[in-house]
Amino acid sequence: MRWLALGALLAVTATAPAWVWNPYHLHTLIMAGIFAVLALSLNLLLGYTGQLSLGHAGFFGIGAYATGLLTVKLEWSPWLGLAAATALPAAAGWVIGRLALKLRGAYFVLLTISFGGVTSLVSVNWMDLTNGPLGLPGVPPVEIALPGLPVVSLRSKGAYYYLVLVAVVAAYLLCLALIRSRIGRALIALRENETLAESVGINGTHYLVLAALISAGMAGFAGGLYAHYTRFVSPEVFLFGYTVTMLIMVVAGGKGTLAGPIVGAVIFTVLPEALRALTSWQWQMLVYGIVLIAVLFFMPRGIVPTLHERWRRT
Amino acid sequence: MTRVCTVALLLFLAIFAAGPVSAQQAEAIKIGVIQPLSGPVAASGNYVRMGAEIARDWINSRGGVLGRQVQLLIEDNKSDPKEAATAAEKLIVRDKVPVIMGAWGSSMTLAAMPKLEEYGVPMVVETSSAASITKRGNPWVFRISPPSEMEALGLEKYLKNFGIKQADFLAVNTDWGRGAASAFGDLLKRSGASVGATEFMDQAATDMNAQITKIKAGSGDTLFVTTSVEQITLVLKQAQDQRLSRKVITTGGSSSPSQLIKQAGPAAEGTYHILFFLPWFPEAMPDGKLAKAFVDEWTKRGHPFEGLTEGFRGHDGILTAAEAIKLAGKPDPKAVREALWNVNVMGVNGPIKFEKDGPAGKESGQSKPSIFIVQIKDGKIALPAFAAKK
Amino acid sequence: MDQLLQHLLNGLLLGATYSLLGIGLTLVFGLMNVVNFAHGEFYTLGAYAAFAALVGLSVSFFLAIPLAIVVGAAAGALCERCLLRPLRGESIDTIMLVMIGLWIAMQNAELLGWGGVAKSVLTPFPAQPVVLGRVSVSPLRIFVFVVSGLLILAAHLLLARTKLGRAMRATFQDRETAALMGVSIERIHTITFAFGAGLAAAAGALLGPVFLLYPSMGDLAALKAFSVVILGGLGNFVGAALGGLVLGVAEEMGAGYVSSGYRDAVGFIIIVGVLLLRPSGLFVRAERVG
Repeated sequence: MRWLALGALLAVTATAPAWVWNPYHLHTLIMAGIFAVLALSLNLLLGYTGQLSLGHAGFFGIGAYATGLLTVKLEWSPWLGLAAATALPAAAGWVIGRLALKLRGAYFVLLTISFGGVTSLVSVNWMDLTNGPLGLPGVPPVEIALPGLPVVSLRSKGAYYYLVLVAVVAAYLLCLALIRSRIGRALIALRENETLAESVGINGTHYLVLAALISAGMAGFAGGLYAHYTRFVSPEVFLFGYTVTMLIMVVAGGKGTLAGPIVGAVIFTVLPEALRALTSWQWQMLVYGIVLIAVLFFMPRGIVPTLHERWRRT
Repeated sequence: MTRVCTVALLLFLAIFAAGPVSAQQAEAIKIGVIQPLSGPVAASGNYVRMGAEIARDWINSRGGVLGRQVQLLIEDNKSDPKEAATAAEKLIVRDKVPVIMGAWGSSMTLAAMPKLEEYGVPMVVETSSAASITKRGNPWVFRISPPSEMEALGLEKYLKNFGIKQADFLAVNTDWGRGAASAFGDLLKRSGASVGATEFMDQAATDMNAQITKIKAGSGDTLFVTTSVEQITLVLKQAQDQRLSRKVITTGGSSSPSQLIKQAGPAAEGTYHILFFLPWFPEAMPDGKLAKAFVDEWTKRGHPFEGLTEGFRGHDGILTAAEAIKLAGKPDPKAVREALWNVNVMGVNGPIKFEKDGPAGKESGQSKPSIFIVQIKDGKIALPAFAAKK
Repeated sequence: MDQLLQHLLNGLLLGATYSLLGIGLTLVFGLMNVVNFAHGEFYTLGAYAAFAALVGLSVSFFLAIPLAIVVGAAAGALCERCLLRPLRGESIDTIMLVMIGLWIAMQNAELLGWGGVAKSVLTPFPAQPVVLGRVSVSPLRIFVFVVSGLLILAAHLLLARTKLGRAMRATFQDRETAALMGVSIERIHTITFAFGAGLAAAAGALLGPVFLLYPSMGDLAALKAFSVVILGGLGNFVGAALGGLVLGVAEEMGAGYVSSGYRDAVGFIIIVGVLLLRPSGLFVRAERVG
């Protein structure tokens, strides 16, 4: 029964471009997918190590700029760009992780805020590199060019949807594998009781660095996906608002679970669009804030864990 | 797990299988409007919206366009390029508008531009000043506001009167501020003056004392300021605190001198402002009657007088769009685009007619708006002596 | 030399504003462990409350400030009763998200109510600057500097010397024992949060006239507040005060001598430096943090 439900869900999402014939809705789904990858990455840090990163938009932005700059200025292939979009933020994540050698809790948070702030300022001020506030228009679409076969451009929405879907599934499976492995068990042990974990020989910093690295790389990859979809990168990718949105998706969806961030991403990407259709612009964000408070008030542990509990009890 | 999946499935289907929810009023002609209605520049976005609404009401009172009433579909871009692109998508795909006006800030406009090309819908750009907007080879873009270079040219004929030997720049750290600093800097260098310091401030910054101290230590005689009226107020007040005494010229048209007089008081005395509308002297505008009528209607609606220097943009943008639809004969995006090249109307700012701009074969449209200078003297707005005649 | 002196003066005055922002948050974040993202909104509320009192009720400038504090404290108490108390015991992240929701809701309510146009507050202070040798400063900012100092001193004394202060510190150090000693835990929570919100409102009422009032004015303020609180040590008033001054001077020097565009970056780099060298904050006795 369980596999049937899962299979049906997969079938529906896999064939979406066929029956979601309104491109605007498909656009919303694609954005939800990109944010799902982002939310999963933040969840790795927040949900499984218990460390809050408030500079996560920094990794997202570095990924977007990495692939944007490489494909526009150096005319690299977008696939290489995406690889760079994963590698560079991962390196930054490694640095942040190592800097957090002595820092936990609030101090780690401030470190990440500073990281987010500095990357944002660099993108605005280092005109020669990033073109500053004018941004990078004209980022090329992703193409699949296998030798011998015609080039398949993923410019169309339907095609890009599949790319994003594959990314979400891959991110989910990566997280799943990670959690189930020794690394995952170590992370959870550290989250629950760091002193105890260290006393049995788990090196806290080593695992935190690993988690930061993977989390940052994933966020950067999402940034790359974003860059090739919107085909315009500007310093606004470093907006604190993106970090806040990711946070909302993870915590309201259910941190520490794997379905939570995905559900959160879908709901909180669809919600602003639904509000756009339902209410006039004056009320949209006010209603959004109230809905957020309400969701957390009635489901403090997040949507997925709460639903899980409710159904387990009935 | 099963139940979560089931719920997810149902939710998914419910949301996305829904067909286009287009609430159709029988005959209305829809024009999309994308502006920053929330966030740090909410005031400006709302002024443009108010101007657009006046244009809509005037058009409708005269019988509408093609015998149908005009309806404005207003979207908030929340000062975020991603939102601007999404709003454009929604307007084009869901609401099927034949033309859009937007998106205020240059990065917002640049982010929405790929959507215009993707779906083939034209946009009238009413405020953005980045040169790249009309130079990117996007034939669906038609701009009625001046790029910074054009604005600098507008100042050229008055340069002698200012007698500038060395100027400093203090600009907001966005495409607008940077573009203005570079365009005016080039103009000054061409005319034999020199450029001293070029300082920037973050869009949300409230304390500019450091930049002012640095500028004061230099030997410039004129300070160019490019930012929104709120920051100009703070700059002037803080300059007064530090006893910075030199000529101040604001650029960009968002300085709302009336608001400056109210909020900066004596600190604003003697400052010059480059504007694209003179609500205090509507008769001095190319179409004095229209300008006066606009000012009167704006005041009648109880909108703040300070907003007029930006609100007219909304009016002229909608006027242009409606005229294009009329010339096209039908609310079809491609026909409207063709028609935009033939538009020749008189807006509040002056004549609107598009010229080709950008790479050959894919030109965008750029109009040549009128540019004015005013000075704050004795707590009131005045036309400087050398600019007294139209 | 003049330039340096002026920069230093600018930095101290700016730093005083940061300190003011930090002292309200250090209680709520430091003692109650609530990541109060709505701190900036209580700041904004205080500013608009003072504005409303001045313009709507024609109250004197010096009376508007305490009025704003009362409004802020009341709003804080309401928020604690209705949102935080029912969620007591939930994870810190959930509370943080609720505060984010409150932040979004309050800011947009303010936008809806007051409109996006910035408002300015007229003060009884002269606009002409006070000249001290070769540097100059506006009288209003001197007033703000002095009042901030008094507020910080008062808050510190309240927390360190009074019975209420002792009860507050006891509650957050060890709840059960405090309850056993007769402290009403619920009341203390409400009072503490109201106290923090009131201080934020005071900051808004004082700084609104220095700058301008607009709905998103709290965003930057909140960010600086968090930095200052962590720099100075969580729950440490004097630390937050000194941390604010340090941050203000550092930013001013960075903007003046390095680059105005990267101004905030200097602040961040200093913060990172401090965190790596003295992780528990600049002004706290070293404690084990990692």
